Amino acid sequence: MLYLELLIQGLVQGGIYTLIALGLTLVYGLLRILHVAHAALFTLGGYLGVILTNATGSLALAMVLTMLVTGVVGMGVYRVAYQPILDKPPYVALIASIALFIASEEIYRLVFGPYGLSYDAPPLQGVIDLFGSGMYLKQAELLVLAGTGAALIGLHLLSTRTRIGIAWRATVTDPEMAASFGIRTQRVRYLNFFIGSALAAAAGVMVALLNNLVEPTMGSVPSYKALAIIVLGGIGSIRGTLIASLALGVIESFGTIYLGSLLDRDAIAFAFLILVLMWRPQGLLGRT
Amino acid sequence: MSALLSVADITVRFGGVEAVSNVSFDVQDGELLGFIGPNGAGKTTMMRVITGLVTPTLGSVCLEDRDLGGLAVFRRVQRGLGLAQQIVRPFNSFSALDNVALAAGQRHTARPMRALFSFRRARERAKAHELLKLVGIDHVADAMPPSLPLGYRKRLELARALALGPRLLLLDEPLAGLNQTEATALADTIADLNQRGLAMILIEHNLSEVMRICPRLVVQDNGRKIGDGPAESVMSDPLVRSAYLGTGESG
Amino acid sequence: MGYEITLATSMCISVVFALSLNLITGFCGQISLGHAAFFGVGAYTAALSSQAGLAFPLDLLAAAAAAAVFGFIVGLSSLRVRHDFLAITTMGFGFLFLGVVRQQDWLGGEMGISAIPGSGLSKLGYLGFVAAVAVAVALFSAYLKRSWLGFSFAAIADDEDTARVVALDVARYKLLAFVLGTAIAGIAGGLYAHHVRFISPDSFGFVESIAVLSMVIVGGIGSVPGVVFAALVLTALPLWFQVIEDYKLLLYSALLFIMMQLCEDGIGGLMRRLMQGRRRTT
Repeated sequence: MLYLELLIQGLVQGGIYTLIALGLTLVYGLLRILHVAHAALFTLGGYLGVILTNATGSLALAMVLTMLVTGVVGMGVYRVAYQPILDKPPYVALIASIALFIASEEIYRLVFGPYGLSYDAPPLQGVIDLFGSGMYLKQAELLVLAGTGAALIGLHLLSTRTRIGIAWRATVTDPEMAASFGIRTQRVRYLNFFIGSALAAAAGVMVALLNNLVEPTMGSVPSYKALAIIVLGGIGSIRGTLIASLALGVIESFGTIYLGSLLDRDAIAFAFLILVLMWRPQGLLGRT
Repeated sequence: MSALLSVADITVRFGGVEAVSNVSFDVQDGELLGFIGPNGAGKTTMMRVITGLVTPTLGSVCLEDRDLGGLAVFRRVQRGLGLAQQIVRPFNSFSALDNVALAAGQRHTARPMRALFSFRRARERAKAHELLKLVGIDHVADAMPPSLPLGYRKRLELARALALGPRLLLLDEPLAGLNQTEATALADTIADLNQRGLAMILIEHNLSEVMRICPRLVVQDNGRKIGDGPAESVMSDPLVRSAYLGTGESG
Repeated sequence: MGYEITLATSMCISVVFALSLNLITGFCGQISLGHAAFFGVGAYTAALSSQAGLAFPLDLLAAAAAAAVFGFIVGLSSLRVRHDFLAITTMGFGFLFLGVVRQQDWLGGEMGISAIPGSGLSKLGYLGFVAAVAVAVALFSAYLKRSWLGFSFAAIADDEDTARVVALDVARYKLLAFVLGTAIAGIAGGLYAHHVRFISPDSFGFVESIAVLSMVIVGGIGSVPGVVFAALVLTALPLWFQVIEDYKLLLYSALLFIMMQLCEDGIGGLMRRLMQGRRRTT
């Protein structure tokens, strides 16, 4: 029984990681930039989710608005932070991204206060009895699992059935060839950042639901882990990211119980990362 | 008398493709060997086996009777193999002079701890000027590589390889991308260097220049060696001619 | 007077710390996002060994050695991974260090270690010692940069594969960079432990790694005077103007961001360009 509960907890956590890491993978696959600032959009999503739900009383409306707004902000981040420095050595984008992320945490702290915000009337707090087994899953956790599934299906459909999705895949595989086919690289990039940021925002809303709290530093730990995940999952591979995210969530869940005396929870992710990289330097599913 | 470089029964297979099939040839001390073949012949793969970037499935490469098998690129360079690459890669943050001076300082850089205690660069700088003069670009010694035209960067690549004092120099398509005048001039420089006693393998597509300066040729097509001997007789071999005419290339 | 001495001592410790990272990142081009961990290893080693009776300044040697061992391990792992993964791997080691320390009681756990013995010197005396170490490290860095080791490091930072073609044993050089850089960071950590007499995991986290990286970047990757200057100013500024304290991180990160957009080779790069410009006009 315990194992099943741990597994499910792990999958829920893994779902959150997936939603965050997908955005990172999308950016890395396209631009080879480690978009550390991505976590700032996750936190923004959390804040907007709480504020809009409190203002409108509807979680669904808040979710949609939050994803849209954050998606647009994400596009702005690309335009302001990354586009000007694309041809500089890679450390420049990395440092700029880290700087942006730290600045965002500070801005959230200064604007919204260090103690965070909560929902006035937290939605989805009820529990569901899983298949009558006596195991309880919070409604919010169910939303995470459903949301992750929906996001993955949506991405799959987008990248295989729509023109812009196919254009995106082509650009990731071979940007020059794609451009010579007339694919507008700029559009693909903006779409990339829009989708990734919207997903991160959704994750932010859901985490805020799970904890009934949004605070300025809530993005830091998931962001570092998401970085570890995309390294594990291999270069820009969506499937790899999914597997690595879920694996990490489950490993943390079990690891905290069994390794808790040796390492704290967050270090487990990095111990896992380092071990895997020593074994396979290209990541779990990367190609050599 | 044993050969300087001995390539024996090299076969390279990857992903179900046999890129090189049982190729053997020797290079004598002081020789200028032309290594030619149509596109896709596996010449680059063969060269990468010699430099150590590719591990052969079968066969061995020996430099001065010592097997190079399993040695990393830098070790082979330390053993006497010089390399001037097809896509030239100078250190863009160093001047042309420093590019060559670093290579000239091999005795300082062979071991990191030794490098920590070595300070003076005057001797290596002087050597670098000499070599730049030899290849004709000493007048741009202080320039940064990105500001130099391709022809000069190719000569810089050559000077840097020479600075290592190699026993055998591998030149991978040094004439590619140069116009007729530049190519002839660089080929003359290469021939001149060989006259001074440096053994070289010249991989090239520019057949007219190769014919002009290389006394001996090895021809590879589809991974197999199809010619090995004096330039004239190799090029009149019908097998070689058909390999080239098949792809539309001619001397 | 006491406050100024404390501030000056902190500034000198930062200089040593920043120069140690400059060796790894600035000279050899290996981006490390976990450098605070080596600072931490040094601090903890000095704290524990001096509490166990090892006299100052011998415990600094122990600190350097411990940090260098850890640095060697991280350096080995850096050889395996490509450069953008290197940044994450070093970050990972930083978190791993924290994660282990937080869970071990003999390392003080979350609460840290207090009552670290002093150096035995007066406050002014200690400042003199730390300043001397800072000067020594700066001179060593400047020498190293002009030596053949610095020449080789620069080649590796420029283009690793081509460095191999000019017969450089790139792996060994990188390891040496890590060992030297982390050993010096360990010394800085030891100096820090004796300065503040109390250490906890909170002082050695990701933000601290980024702070020291900022000093290297703002100073100009590889530029010894630039990095010294940046370390001094970035340490002093928030402590001088207490009002800045609350906005310190925001200002740091804004500064970093703007620098990356406008002049990514930092103060050192700016100076270099100014001097080249002047030479051209004469």
